[in-house]
Amino acid sequence: MSIINYANKEIQFKVVYYGPALCGKTTNLAHIHSRVEEKNKGELVSLATAADRTLFFDFLPLNAVVIKGFKTKFQLYTVPGQVIYNATRQLVLRSVDGIVFVADSQWDKMEENVESFKNLQDNLARQGLNLDQIPYVLQYNKRDMPNVAPVHYLEYLLNNRGRRVNSFVGVATSGQGVFATLNAISKLLLQKFARETEESVNKHQKTAAPTGSTALSGIAAGIARR
Amino acid sequence: MTTLPILTIQAAERLLNSLEDFLDKSEASYAMIIDRGGIILSQHGELPDNADPNIVAALSAGSFAATRELALRVGEADCSALYQQGAHSHILVTAVDDDIVLVTVFGKQTTVGLVKFYSAKTVKRISAILQELRQTQHVGVLFTKEDINAAENIFAQ
Repeated sequence: MSIINYANKEIQFKVVYYGPALCGKTTNLAHIHSRVEEKNKGELVSLATAADRTLFFDFLPLNAVVIKGFKTKFQLYTVPGQVIYNATRQLVLRSVDGIVFVADSQWDKMEENVESFKNLQDNLARQGLNLDQIPYVLQYNKRDMPNVAPVHYLEYLLNNRGRRVNSFVGVATSGQGVFATLNAISKLLLQKFARETEESVNKHQKTAAPTGSTALSGIAAGIARR
Repeated sequence: MTTLPILTIQAAERLLNSLEDFLDKSEASYAMIIDRGGIILSQHGELPDNADPNIVAALSAGSFAATRELALRVGEADCSALYQQGAHSHILVTAVDDDIVLVTVFGKQTTVGLVKFYSAKTVKRISAILQELRQTQHVGVLFTKEDINAAENIFAQ
């Protein structure tokens, strides 16, 4: 869940890049890290095996836009794609705010894509969550490979739930589609945040005590003192 | 228990005071309160080698979650603390509740016994502050759709 810190005037979100092994999750983060301005990024940390396969997670902290005086911060994680690391994927998904599902466009990876997407839903369910609650986008990566499935087939396989989501074609090695994907999930998270805070204020206004002794007044007083 | 959506200025001050008091008494060099997703709620002191607190937080959350899971799988009912002994810097990660942990970094100027003793007291103090925060209905800042749409590219290359 996103956290609003009134002391630092920051809102933080956790985004997890999910998908089958070798689909390009780490490559997405590496490209983002190479292109974001120095002042807006932290170090890209990879907990990988000797063969450069993700063992636990990759992590990249980013600063984004300032909205109404509040800095937005996004913490990007990847999960290990290999089937045997499911326990690790469950840990990385804890407190997730948004998901980028990276699919491998190659024909021979379709089964792995579907299994990984199912695995994502199962792991969310273990936390009492589902894809109707969590903003997510799809990225069909490796479009530069010779044996790719058509986009409409990937849509049929992976974007076939009641709620169709944004999907992007990508070639993460060259950066194609990487920032479009990141901006889309970030915008979805901010929109959800705006919706939830509006609902929260409306609810609060209906239930506020006439004495005015409320959390809202406490927050406002705190801000005024700064 | 749910995670904390909103940290008010008052609660942030109280958390910071508890960390200041903890470092003062335990003589540890750095302490941070993080959620299970690795997001920092409060921090105080200095990390060795100018380490990035965000990375320390992410790794601590992951490490503690993995150790706790490991403990459960070998029949332990719970895992409340994790200690990493180094040559110069030591790390103690202590569970505050299901969602929050306290991470303490300390060196040769103190002992693990002293840090554990005061961390136990600090954990209770932090827990009480967070409990109070959770029980109060807080209202977040309002962003409108227009505010978000105005930010065309949230990340620019």
